[in-house]
Amino acid sequence: MDVTLPSPRPAPPATWAGLRRGFVRAQPMSVGVLVYGMAFGLLARQENLSLIESLAMSLFIYSGSAQIAAVGAMGQGGYVGLDAVASIASAVLLLNARYMLYGAALWPWLGAAPVRLTTPTLFFLGDGNWVLSMRAHADGENDLGYVLGSGFAAFLPWMAGTWLGSAAGSLLANPAALGVDFLLVSFSAAMGVGMFRARPDWAIAATACAAALIVDSVAPGGWTIVAAGLAGGIVAFFRFKAE
Amino acid sequence: MRADLVPLLAAVAAASFFCRVGGFWLMRFVPVTPRVEAALKATPLAVMIGIVAPVAARGRPAELVALAAVALVMRFTPNDLVAAMVGVGVVAVARLLAV
Repeated sequence: MDVTLPSPRPAPPATWAGLRRGFVRAQPMSVGVLVYGMAFGLLARQENLSLIESLAMSLFIYSGSAQIAAVGAMGQGGYVGLDAVASIASAVLLLNARYMLYGAALWPWLGAAPVRLTTPTLFFLGDGNWVLSMRAHADGENDLGYVLGSGFAAFLPWMAGTWLGSAAGSLLANPAALGVDFLLVSFSAAMGVGMFRARPDWAIAATACAAALIVDSVAPGGWTIVAAGLAGGIVAFFRFKAE
Repeated sequence: MRADLVPLLAAVAAASFFCRVGGFWLMRFVPVTPRVEAALKATPLAVMIGIVAPVAARGRPAELVALAAVALVMRFTPNDLVAAMVGVGVVAVARLLAV
């Protein structure tokens, strides 16, 4: 029975040491972010965005899929009217819906932290640093700085990549040849194995996998992540047994 | 900076930021019962599976070999960063060989 609420959690620690830990641990991922940022910078240049415009997008939007959608609309010239802006913004809400799930999952950890710390932490949130942080949290990491530091570790190469791609064009003829597009998949696979080993749960894994594959066959892209995450959460919700 | 770009930039930035803070903010109004906490705890693994499963299902040899390599490395070391980098290396080599 769910009658006993856990006592309110204390605010998590937020230290420079935690920030440093997250920043250092996220470094292997930053290579992929740099190349992805370069790809965006190059695309933006091809659509005649100036360097400042490209950097402003990466700084304020900080989301590859959202920026590509915005730049794509600019290429077609339809980005000025209110209806065009509203439709692109709604598309971005759907493209990034998975972040709602990421934020919710961070709540038990960071919910009691002050807003002045959680706001930048959420601003710098990305797929890679969320996966990394949740994995570390399952192993006992409790410092808010870890999430912020690993997020910052991805934000910096995103800006640097945008600048390189926009200013210098593509330095890499074919990023896929280096496997950088596989980075997030590879990290998720490795960390998924680690998490599964620590707490094996076949029902959650199988349901998440089925949900991902079903949605992938209809609407590939970010929605497979949302479907898998929700499906796994729902299974855990209903199978929960109070100890 | 073109002036007519500003509304688009502002709207897309707002939408992106809303997604980042929205789920976290909504949880203010959800009592975190042990059951809800179990659901939230299950999402990271489920999301990781959601990222990997579609790639595995595409069945391209380079990716499959790389995922097998990740699983293999994870058998011998607890270091998931090492396993992940091995996976990226294998996919790069496999794509190079396939030409």
